[in-house]
Amino acid sequence: MRRLAKWVVAVPMAILALATIYPIIFTANVAMKTRREYVLDRFSLTESLHWDNVAAAWNSVGMARYFANSLFVVAASVFLLLLLGSMAGFALSRLPFRGSKALFIGCLAALFIPFQVIMVPLSRVMADTGLIDTYPGLILAYVAQFLPFTVFLMTSYYRSVPKEIVDAARIDGNTVYGVYRRIMVPIGRPALLSVGILDALFCWNDVLIALLMMPSADHRTLMVGVTSLRGQYTDNVPTFAAGVLIAAVPVLLVYLFLQRQIADGVTAGSTKG
Amino acid sequence: MPTRNTSPMVRPGASGRAVEGGDKRERARHGAARRRGRSERFAPYVLIAPAVLIIVALRLYPLVLGVNFSFTGDGEANGTAVGFANYLELLDDPLFQTALANVGLLVLLLPVAVAIPGLLATFIYLKVPGHRFFRSVYFFPAVLSPVIVGAIFNLMLAFDGPLNEFLGAVGLGPVDWLGDPGVAKFAVVGVQIWATFGMALVVFLAGFATLDSSLLDAARVDGASLRQSIWHVIIPSLSQTIQFVFVTTMIGMLTSMFGLLYVMTSGGPEGSTYLPEYYIWIQQGQMNRPALASAASTVLFLIMLVVGLLQISVLRRAGRED
Repeated sequence: MRRLAKWVVAVPMAILALATIYPIIFTANVAMKTRREYVLDRFSLTESLHWDNVAAAWNSVGMARYFANSLFVVAASVFLLLLLGSMAGFALSRLPFRGSKALFIGCLAALFIPFQVIMVPLSRVMADTGLIDTYPGLILAYVAQFLPFTVFLMTSYYRSVPKEIVDAARIDGNTVYGVYRRIMVPIGRPALLSVGILDALFCWNDVLIALLMMPSADHRTLMVGVTSLRGQYTDNVPTFAAGVLIAAVPVLLVYLFLQRQIADGVTAGSTKG
Repeated sequence: MPTRNTSPMVRPGASGRAVEGGDKRERARHGAARRRGRSERFAPYVLIAPAVLIIVALRLYPLVLGVNFSFTGDGEANGTAVGFANYLELLDDPLFQTALANVGLLVLLLPVAVAIPGLLATFIYLKVPGHRFFRSVYFFPAVLSPVIVGAIFNLMLAFDGPLNEFLGAVGLGPVDWLGDPGVAKFAVVGVQIWATFGMALVVFLAGFATLDSSLLDAARVDGASLRQSIWHVIIPSLSQTIQFVFVTTMIGMLTSMFGLLYVMTSGGPEGSTYLPEYYIWIQQGQMNRPALASAASTVLFLIMLVVGLLQISVLRRAGRED
């Protein structure tokens, strides 16, 4: 492309970029307004940063509680996903054993079962085992949902680790478990980071699984909490916007600092699959 | 990525130490490793067992259980075999018909949802001024929860919201984005595309990273226009990436719009924005019809299988003709 043509293309792309961030900026701006300001003119820039809305959303409807619930569930789920995913990935990629190929294919197949297809029987299973409406139940549901993806990415990452490293560590007197702990976990750190962030985003952003597994109000995760905000603040838009902002800020922070790792995780499947 | 030169660095030292037989302690260690090796034959199974157990118990078993469910009755007929009754009821239900019609609409809109990020990725790859900034901005909505996206667009698309205000300023009448049955489904799909095109964009850019740039240079030297370059160089070279984006975008549209529907329209107005996943949720959670919901789940699964296989075969054939 010629230089001029590039500038011509850049104009609509800039407009699109504006259209992409404007809804987010609009919401943040509304969240900082007083109710009166909002009713008079919702588009003007807020006169002052009105943090009362954020405080109101945080305190009054239990957003603080939901935030803590989400944090706990996501942390536990991601820890388990990375532990089980890297163990399985190590076995599937670097330990020859009977049935390894079949298990890998089974794992790939499980990747293509959407949650919507199994949600009815899964909630039945969870109810039968007494796990419904409990934290372990929700955590297990998340682990089951994102484990195939995690195993798949860890396996393909560990395939790029030279076999000789594993052999050498074995000859050095390490047990298989020792190799896992001392070699595979440290060497897999970049992949664990990428996959872990993605898993965390998936769990943090989910609403369907949480709605299904955690019916009672004080077990709500943050995203379910946001959906309940809507009904409570129909006439108080700034507080509603503040609640949305609270839920979005952690993701925004993760994005600002770890954008590359997120992109790496998203694209890992596309080039290898 | 582990670099290739790590292996020669590790290998000579480690194997050398094991072969030097003089040191008793080394030999003992070697022997111990071998003995342990025998008792560790099951180690791979131990390592993989938790993952396999969870996947089998909480994904594969429910899949079978669900198909089974779909042939049994609800309510009083709970547990008894009813044959295809649930499936017949589904086909008769106007809400499910709308849901299927909307799936058809999504399939029709799919090329648009793939072409937009593809074109944008091409421009970013060609280093349009500000390309790094564009990339970061475009990707951001893709990491937001559908719930947050839906909540934001509830504000944006409100009848007295910013979008209608903007349209009013340029002389166009207000549109009832989420209240008009003919408009709402397009509004929701539009928001879905807004929220996910960054994901496809990043995948396309990863594909471009593997593109042989000398091909593009050669095309330019030969005087090819941008359109010709895209058609004859970029699309054939990226056929695998394009195929991947098609399939993942379709899966995304069929399985990740629940949050948007739940927050923005609740399936309305007049049931016009129903999708199979929302239908399943309503039948299971609100109507207490788990068997009927299971039948809908099975239909959704079949749709996804068919669409996925069709796309792969169509795209493969298109790739071969080029």
